[in-house]
Amino acid sequence: MSVRPRSLRRSWRRQALPLLFVLPALLVYALFVLWPFVNTIHYSLTDWDGAQPVKNFIGLANYRDMFADPLMWLSLRHNLIWIALGTLTPVVIGLVLANLVWSGVKGRTLFRTIFFMPVVLASVVVGIIWHWIYHPLFGPINVVLRNMGLEQVARGWLGDYDWALYALLLAGLWAYFGFCFVILLAALQGIDMEIHDAAMIDGAGSFKRFWHVTVPQLAPVLTMLTAFTLIGGFNVFDIIFVTTKGGPANATDVLATYTYRQAFTLNEAGYGATLTMMITVLSLVASYTFITLRERGQ
Amino acid sequence: MHSATLPRTSGRRGAFLLTLIKYAILVMVAILCLMPFVWVWSSAFKPSLEIADTPLALPREPTLQNFANAWIQGRFAKYFTNSLIVTVPIVGFTLLLSSLAGYAFARHYFRGRQTLFYAFLLGLTLPFTSIMIPLYYTLRDTGLLGTYWAMIVPQTAIGLPFGIFIMRAFFQSLPRELEDSGRVDGCNEFGVFWRVMLPLTTPGMITLGIFSFLGAWNSFLLPLIFMQRESLRPLVVGLMFFQSRYTRDFALIMAGATIISVPVIVVYIIFQRQFIQGLTAGAVKG
Repeated sequence: MSVRPRSLRRSWRRQALPLLFVLPALLVYALFVLWPFVNTIHYSLTDWDGAQPVKNFIGLANYRDMFADPLMWLSLRHNLIWIALGTLTPVVIGLVLANLVWSGVKGRTLFRTIFFMPVVLASVVVGIIWHWIYHPLFGPINVVLRNMGLEQVARGWLGDYDWALYALLLAGLWAYFGFCFVILLAALQGIDMEIHDAAMIDGAGSFKRFWHVTVPQLAPVLTMLTAFTLIGGFNVFDIIFVTTKGGPANATDVLATYTYRQAFTLNEAGYGATLTMMITVLSLVASYTFITLRERGQ
Repeated sequence: MHSATLPRTSGRRGAFLLTLIKYAILVMVAILCLMPFVWVWSSAFKPSLEIADTPLALPREPTLQNFANAWIQGRFAKYFTNSLIVTVPIVGFTLLLSSLAGYAFARHYFRGRQTLFYAFLLGLTLPFTSIMIPLYYTLRDTGLLGTYWAMIVPQTAIGLPFGIFIMRAFFQSLPRELEDSGRVDGCNEFGVFWRVMLPLTTPGMITLGIFSFLGAWNSFLLPLIFMQRESLRPLVVGLMFFQSRYTRDFALIMAGATIISVPVIVVYIIFQRQFIQGLTAGAVKG
């Protein structure tokens, strides 16, 4: 008789109580993240405009439209440019700088503090700072160019169809490379020095040591950084929205800015959801590919 | 003798040259990082005309007028209050909910633990874009749109996966005996968590608190969509509209940018050790 209450009390302590600890977080997360995500999939199969009481199911029509939408492809192309340049460059710069600092310099902490400063800045502030740096008349870049007698090079960088995207990429790079630097520096401090020293005794030059000893040991962190940057690259929004809003003439439109306009300016909730599905699938594929690669590597 | 010393000195000179190049590169990058900060912060103290005249020089006649204009006419006082009103509860709720759940995931075995944890991990890879549209209509239909809750609740929800991940790692690192000694001393399960275990994760809470603060303070797309009413705008969104209204008055815009960036930089400088430790621990080990 006395066994049952005790086992009940036991299972209360072992099963129900931990769930009680998880419940508040689970409730908030399920209602405000998981459920909206399920709804995004639902919306993408309707032609809802955000106002009608019913959501008409239209099957995959939105997806068919999306794959035939030249502006979607143009935006995606800009995301891919952003990713190709914006992933590789900050990782490489971060790696080079981390190596320089790691090889032993005075003021290591000071350099780290300074390189990381742009990372903590709101991307809106980054956008506003660079908007001013690129200003056609008083922007520091053009002022310097004019003072150097390079009047013909000076231009309204963000208003220039061919230059705007790359000008923004540079601003993004400024705000992001410090993140790669800090992560890579920490990873370098954790690598196995014995292999490194052994290679040195075997007569490997510093570049050989770097390439054959350091880089393989950094591989998991490099994979993680790349995945992280890829997800960021498919979702870039703030810096572009604040400076150019995707202009001039869609020259800097990316998936997120295009989606924002469709969903919240034109109230195309259904088609907007379809576009966000594109971003979501690309982000998830990118991150899971890299997680798999990483686990295989280990 | 001669032939023996010559390579050594040239080697030493070479090493010196290398060191010089190394420092030159690092210092140059540091200047490139700092320069925009110096421009913005110093421009905030210049009269508008001076910016147009000599955009790169330090202020000749420093003035606080820009700050006064931004604060009062630009309504930055209101936006600053709004940012505080949403950021404080976001940080509080994130810490509370993440440590409760992180504790259960780290110290208890229960049915469905693995599945639940993976469900939370999914949130680490799910971008905000993929939930923003239905979330907007949910907030509208529940009447939360047009209140501060429209930012507090979703921003907390988005931060939970990372928060639980961090707090779980901190709880896992605590020794089992502590928990048991709490039980022996007659604490109930919640008491063990609240009085014994939670105080020991203070470094973890500080790290998570800083991430949560920066995330909320700097968040843009979320309040842009969910806090459309002017009286609810946080600083970052306020600055964006401010910039499109006063396009020509750079001094005023720079004062606004300074008001937003200074608290963030101060928090970063004070807590940078915990911040960078938390960041790298998650990335390098996890």
